[in-house]
Amino acid sequence: MDRVLFTHKGTQFLQYDTNEHECSVNGHHQVDMQSTNQSSLTSTSRGSSESGEPSGDTKWASKLLKDCAKAISDKDSSKIHHLLWMLNELASPYGDCDQKLASYFLQALFCKATESGQRCYKTLISVAEKSHSFDSARKLILKFQEVSPWTTFGHVASNGAILEALEGESKVHIIDISNTLCTQWPTLLEAMATRNDETPRLKLTVVVTENMVRSVMKEIAQRMEKFARLMGVPFEFNVVTGLNRLGGITKEGLGVQEDEAVAVNCMGALRRVEVEERGAVIKMLSSLNPRVVTVVEEEADFSSPRNDFVKCFDESLRFYTLYFEMLEESFVPTSNERLMLERESARSMVRVLACDEDHQNGSFGGDCERREKGNQWSERLKENFTQFSFSDDCIDDVKALLKRYRAGWSLVQPQENDLGLYLTWKDEPIVWASAWKP
Amino acid sequence: MLEQMTDEVISNSFIQNQIDESNPPPAKKKRNLPGTPDPEAEVIALSPKTLMATNRFLCEICGKGFQRDQNLQLHRRGHNLPWKLKQRTSKEIRKRVYVCPEKSCVHNHPSRALGDLTGIKKHYCRKHGEKKWKCGKCAKRYAVQSDWKAHSKTCGTREYKCDCGTIFSRRDSFITHRAFCEALAEETARVTAATSSINNSTLPNMNYHFMGSASSLGQNTAQHFSSIFEPVMSSNHELLTDPIRQAGLSLWMGHDTTQNSHAAPLNLQPLFSDPKSSYQFNWASTTGNNRINIPSPFDEQQKMSIATTTNSLPVVNNIVTKDVGNQLVSIPSLYSSQNMSDQCTLPATMSATALLQKAAQIGATSTTDPSFLESFGMKRSNINQVQDGSKFFGLFGTNLMTTTSLGNTTTDQVNDHLSNLNHHLYPSKRRHIQQDQDSSGSGETRDFLGVGVRSICQTPSINGWI
Repeated sequence: MDRVLFTHKGTQFLQYDTNEHECSVNGHHQVDMQSTNQSSLTSTSRGSSESGEPSGDTKWASKLLKDCAKAISDKDSSKIHHLLWMLNELASPYGDCDQKLASYFLQALFCKATESGQRCYKTLISVAEKSHSFDSARKLILKFQEVSPWTTFGHVASNGAILEALEGESKVHIIDISNTLCTQWPTLLEAMATRNDETPRLKLTVVVTENMVRSVMKEIAQRMEKFARLMGVPFEFNVVTGLNRLGGITKEGLGVQEDEAVAVNCMGALRRVEVEERGAVIKMLSSLNPRVVTVVEEEADFSSPRNDFVKCFDESLRFYTLYFEMLEESFVPTSNERLMLERESARSMVRVLACDEDHQNGSFGGDCERREKGNQWSERLKENFTQFSFSDDCIDDVKALLKRYRAGWSLVQPQENDLGLYLTWKDEPIVWASAWKP
Repeated sequence: MLEQMTDEVISNSFIQNQIDESNPPPAKKKRNLPGTPDPEAEVIALSPKTLMATNRFLCEICGKGFQRDQNLQLHRRGHNLPWKLKQRTSKEIRKRVYVCPEKSCVHNHPSRALGDLTGIKKHYCRKHGEKKWKCGKCAKRYAVQSDWKAHSKTCGTREYKCDCGTIFSRRDSFITHRAFCEALAEETARVTAATSSINNSTLPNMNYHFMGSASSLGQNTAQHFSSIFEPVMSSNHELLTDPIRQAGLSLWMGHDTTQNSHAAPLNLQPLFSDPKSSYQFNWASTTGNNRINIPSPFDEQQKMSIATTTNSLPVVNNIVTKDVGNQLVSIPSLYSSQNMSDQCTLPATMSATALLQKAAQIGATSTTDPSFLESFGMKRSNINQVQDGSKFFGLFGTNLMTTTSLGNTTTDQVNDHLSNLNHHLYPSKRRHIQQDQDSSGSGETRDFLGVGVRSICQTPSINGWI
């Protein structure tokens, strides 16, 4: 039994330890957990900088959370109670990374244990909507893009692929299904205005399903139109808001015309489609006959283990630990924007972990959040599209972009067996970007 | 001896060269615009290979190749050529222009040839060549090495400043910020408020302010009514002569709103602020031109047109009409501000009636606020009458609280409702009524100022007050 982890954390841990003694199965389990903990730290630099513990050892939150998840899966109610209580004592959404993770995952685990996921999710959404406005959303995303290339990576790669694929076209229609509030498009408009000899006419159709995005779309539309005028690009902006779930988009709903060159931009979008409907959506996209489809997704797999709670939990813990650490290092400690992003992640956690797909129907509302990894998406997209690699120029642009941010970011270039482009944070791939043609 | 001779030769040639250079320069300095060559010039079309060849100029004596003609000449001097051969043939002095070998290029045609060989080389590289040079910092690519070098010097050092004051070192974040910036939205809001002639609720606001300011000019209230119709007849002479105000007024009346977008912010502020001093100050500060020039040609126009018409609105219109022969059109050019030149895109000469009707339409298409009216329990039929009077009061804006007494003494058209309105309402409310009036009535002659012509005829007591 390794007491080093907990001795300075107080008596609660010692209690936990004695529990461990009593139950040899648990003890064995604990050793396993530790080893998995050790292996989950792929680079010690991350661990030592984040945990704040003198020895830079494994993180207590991770361990506790995993134990709790296991207990829930085993339906061991006394243990569940115990662990939840402990987590509650130690967690805080305003503390260090561990405390934050503990706090938000605790919420998700609690909802799972009490089967109150849907209600909790709805409450969280309505709380967020109250303080949501165009100004706050704009500030949030712009600040995030300033400190971290998490979203701009996908933007630059996709814009590069789109511009190259649509070179020489005079009428261009971009279908945008993304979660970045059109911050991708100003740079594209600027490039269209300056790079090309003849500026094409651009029609932008944005598909929106979240209420919070819907409410700010009008302002965004105005800004986009004004900016396009400023750039001198003939511009038309459409918003498709009637859908309550992303799986419901149709070709007719998008208003694609015959003489247009179509590009589809899916940025953090496909994961919002219900798992069963993903194939159909991809097929529909191919029916639009686009010149290029750019898909950018976060590298995490919540989809294949969706029937195995512990596995799913482990994966989400891994991913969100990375994400939270990235946020902590990118923003200033007192940043309100970071808090907003963390809360957004918390909602996502509740959604993935505590809202069963079985209960899903239109009335629930909101989008699915089951991410898949690049290779999984590729399997799906392969059925209707062919992947192609980003051009060297495009990759150079991405490299130049990453140079402008703090250290820690890098990319994995397309290879023979894997043409996707990956953004890595401390050598962990976290965002996957790809380009597809029919 | 020989040495002396060679020295002589060399020194002679030096002098000669200097002479050559000193005479032509005045002619040489005159540069054509790129792509608009001298029609007398000889057009040379080189193949891409020849164009990109580094050693086009060959020495006839030793066969050595040079990139530039000057270098070849320098080299030739070293060969100690006899005097005759040293001279350039007259043919060579003739100016040469070059066309781009790329067939699809606009510079392929002789009429758009470029005058400089180096220039055409660079052009060909830039437009049709491979971009071999890359900036390490920002990944920008260049085909011409000198372009790349020039860029590398400044890359990363440049700072981008948004209208809102934020400074960026990265271009992409600057662009994204700019697109979403409040400053962009505000500027556009001002522009749209100023120029939108349809469904613009601020338009009546302008109406009011203008009237208010017009009335504040003349101290005599009796003059107000007339001043509404004849804003240019205000006692303030400078106001009359200020073309901006005229132009501003026409801007307001004008329908060519799109072209006025630049000038709008410039114009409106003067309109809304104290017209006399700050307005002129605004004008002076924005253009920095001497205003003294203006009045004289303008005055004559004023006197002329005022004499010929009774209704002053067309007077204004005539003055500011975009007439080729009209002096006013030339006046903005005095100011030389680009903004102001856009300003003079005014409607063509229109008849007085047409103008008034059109202006009325502007008011008519504004949004109405029926709920407001309903709250007063007024029926539509009543509203017209009530509004005539209230509009009349509204004309004078907040200045004229004295109109409340007027309201009480007028005919039954101005009933208790109206006095309520007077007491409880301020121009913002009256505005709604006015709009509604404009839209509810139809076909009657209606002046754009919002005073029902009918009311003037039908409420003699009000007239009598004037």
